[in-house]
Amino acid sequence: MAQVVLEEVNKEYGSVRAVVDVNLTVADGEFVVLVGPSGCGKSTTLRMVAGLEEITRGLIRIGERVVNRLPPKDRDIAMVFQNYALYQHMTVYDNLAFGLRNRKVREADIKTEVMRAAAVLGIEQLLSRKPRELSGGQQQRVALGRCVVRHPQVFLFDEPLSNLDAKLRAQMRIELKRLRERVATTSIYVTHDQVEAMTLGDRVVVMLDGRIQQVATPLEIYNRPRNRFVAGFIGAPAMNFLSVELQNIDDHLHAVAENFRIRVPQDRVSELACQRARAVVLGVRPEHVLMGEPRPEHGTGFDANVEVTEQLGAELLVAVRAGGTTVLASRVDAEATLALHQPLRLSLDPRGLHFFDRESGEAIR
Amino acid sequence: MAKTHPAVSNGVAPRTAPDQPNAEPRLGEKERFMLLLIAPAGIVLVLFQIVPIIFGANASFRDWQLFNPAQTWVGLKHYLYILSDSTFLTVVLPNTFLLMFLSVTLSLIGGLALAHYLHRNFAGQWLMQTIILLPQMIAPVIGAMMMRWVFNDQFGVVAAFLDWVGFGPISWLAQRWPSFFIVIFTDVWIWTPWFALILLAGLRSLPREPFEAAQIDAAGAWRTFTHLTLPMLRPVIAVCVLIRSIDAFRTFDVVWILTGGGPARSTEVFSIYTYIETFVNLDFGRGSAAAIIGALIILAVAGAMYKVAGRVTDVSR
Amino acid sequence: MTALCTTRSDRPYCWTDALAPGGRRAFFWLATIAIVLLFLGPIVILVVTSLRPGWAVFYIYRGTDFTLQNYRDVLATEAVIHAFVNSFLVATLATIVSIGVTVSSGYMLSRFRGPIPRAWFGTIYVFRTVPYISWVLPLYLVCYHLGIYDTYAGILLPHIAVHICFFSWIMKGFFDGIDPSMEYAALVDGCTRWGAFLRVALPSAIPAIAALGILSWLYTWNEFLFALILTGHNTALITVTMAQFVTELGTAWNLMSAMAVMAMGPAIIITLFAQKYVVRGLRI
Repeated sequence: MAQVVLEEVNKEYGSVRAVVDVNLTVADGEFVVLVGPSGCGKSTTLRMVAGLEEITRGLIRIGERVVNRLPPKDRDIAMVFQNYALYQHMTVYDNLAFGLRNRKVREADIKTEVMRAAAVLGIEQLLSRKPRELSGGQQQRVALGRCVVRHPQVFLFDEPLSNLDAKLRAQMRIELKRLRERVATTSIYVTHDQVEAMTLGDRVVVMLDGRIQQVATPLEIYNRPRNRFVAGFIGAPAMNFLSVELQNIDDHLHAVAENFRIRVPQDRVSELACQRARAVVLGVRPEHVLMGEPRPEHGTGFDANVEVTEQLGAELLVAVRAGGTTVLASRVDAEATLALHQPLRLSLDPRGLHFFDRESGEAIR
Repeated sequence: MAKTHPAVSNGVAPRTAPDQPNAEPRLGEKERFMLLLIAPAGIVLVLFQIVPIIFGANASFRDWQLFNPAQTWVGLKHYLYILSDSTFLTVVLPNTFLLMFLSVTLSLIGGLALAHYLHRNFAGQWLMQTIILLPQMIAPVIGAMMMRWVFNDQFGVVAAFLDWVGFGPISWLAQRWPSFFIVIFTDVWIWTPWFALILLAGLRSLPREPFEAAQIDAAGAWRTFTHLTLPMLRPVIAVCVLIRSIDAFRTFDVVWILTGGGPARSTEVFSIYTYIETFVNLDFGRGSAAAIIGALIILAVAGAMYKVAGRVTDVSR
Repeated sequence: MTALCTTRSDRPYCWTDALAPGGRRAFFWLATIAIVLLFLGPIVILVVTSLRPGWAVFYIYRGTDFTLQNYRDVLATEAVIHAFVNSFLVATLATIVSIGVTVSSGYMLSRFRGPIPRAWFGTIYVFRTVPYISWVLPLYLVCYHLGIYDTYAGILLPHIAVHICFFSWIMKGFFDGIDPSMEYAALVDGCTRWGAFLRVALPSAIPAIAALGILSWLYTWNEFLFALILTGHNTALITVTMAQFVTELGTAWNLMSAMAVMAMGPAIIITLFAQKYVVRGLRI
């Protein structure tokens, strides 16, 4: 186990900058998830750590060593690929043993390690089969086995669950967490699925266009997103964004939208007071869009009509139209009966307000 | 009957036409269309391949000299003669199969090497690919003439080189095995580019990730090649070897120009033997019999190879 | 990084990555030189030989006399011009006709299943396997009796037969890769099967047809055995005419090489300018 440090890491293809000034320290034993939309540079960053991509500028350290010039095999890493990348013409046993055999480990020791890894992942029965005889989940477990067998310092995961169907994905997420408990290794995990990011990571790194947007624990990212992109990317259904004006009404600062206004809580006034522009973006997560009238000191409620409902069983997702064009999403109790176009009275929970600068998208704190 | 080579189609499983209801007459509209599509080709094939073969089969049972119009029936006389002809059995057939085996094997190895060479982006790759393609594009006759000139024992490049290095001259075309060597060399020269091209396409179609995993697994160059590349290329290799082997059996041009079957008929291969019987010895009956025997041999060999190739491609899936 | 060592993302792992960078480069250059020597060498030697005057041909490595006289001599020979014209005509005509029959044959094999396609596939496969000499030999007498020996028909039609057997594969493979849904849609829209074939399938097949045409043409241009057996004086083709230079006593290497270089011309031009099609067509 070792820590991984990325210092000012850049990757350029000609004039295209795929990864820009990435600085990240993954602590010893930490599980860090890189998440972001396609093309954000997360896979490229991971591959630079692995040594499968050249580093244009910057340093990568694994443990105490600078690994920029080291080939993948000398970096003491293991990697799990999206398409499993198993050796199709070898048995599962040989797949697991391949890396050890190439390093001239004794067959007896290889056997011990392979059996141990197989036990950890529950694939002992599959050792004599070939990959094409296995299901997707089994193949991925073999891929994980390949990692575990060598006791490397760092695990790297490149979207390993993307090829699995939804149900299997959920199962494998839990398996991965169990694996972590048994084999705690510094890990960097890349995914485009924010659910995986939130459930698996000790810390989450959100990336966009090659740059890191925010590095924080899942809860912190959820509750205190640093900019509009992070706020909208993390959390499903996504955060609602409204254009509002900051106005002083009755000696209190209010955020005024088209057909309602909400009183800015006292502890937030000071942050917003520094805001030069009066027009800002207000972000509200669906669970903070509440049914019914607010308390008078919180501002006013507003009218809306039900547009679409989505029954999830555990809750009901409602999209409502308030005023001319605003559409908000809300989560309500699954038992609620809501008809199409039914008028509702809604309000916003003042504890769930996020303000963002209209131009830069940065959170106003 | 024969089914499609799995590796031949572009990785896409061929789709079937929409099914028609069972109540249709046998020669329905679909069938008429099919026959119409192949009618012209079918006529050409019948007239210029099937009819001649029947003609030749007929001739093979007759005593038919090209200068003598009488065509008396002699049954299997020609077949028995050929099958007991020591030249045929100990020289011609072994030569043919040896040529098949060596040419295909060496071209395959060369093709694999060249495919790896071309399988990287470097400046001048197009130029190198052009150079590599050239032997395959020029006429085999020209290629053979080139090689004959290069190996000319008095004035060829090779003779000059041997002289410079200190060896005495080798009269290549005066002895059996040196001549045969040149024949094989020329054939390999002509066909390695074909293998290279197809194997290059195969290499390019291989998935990237197992190789990256192998990099991480500290697999060296040779191990990656034997444990990953070769098994993944097995279907392509099988099809190439099958097609090329069948082709190699009927080699004519190269041998004819380089050695004419000599010296003293020692480098004859099947096509040459047949040609000589017919147009030099002017014995059409015996030549036809030889032609039919050869056809049957290669059909049998091809059938066997096809089965093996089929098994290799399915297992490799 | 020089052009020899591109970033690894551009291509999959190559075994030479395992060698040290210096070793990799040395190996690469060694391979390049070997390839140029082996593949281009004989061709260059032939060209040089064709440029040497007759008496200097046997000392082509010493002396610096170069001349175009060989080419003039060869082009002045009526038999040679005759042969070139014939070869061109035969190759072009055979290709044009072949394309028509081969494309429809390949289409049929691709789109249909059942006894007829299987029988056709089997026939083509058998004749792809059977040695040419086995049917060209009796064809010699058949042509003689039909009176088409040493005529254009007598040499064109056998070539077309070979084209059908060889190149139906290519067209079948190509059509396999085209989604038949477009043709079904055309059928549903009221097109006849012919209409669907001609107006929907064929237009997308044009690149493959180009590849097919180029390869067929080159194959016929380069072909030797049929020319040897089925042609005589009237329809002499270049491959046989060239061979005659060689089999006589005392080969006139300078003249023969001049003719050979000219005969190589189309092949080189095609390789330089139509390589894309060649590559596509050669892949089975």
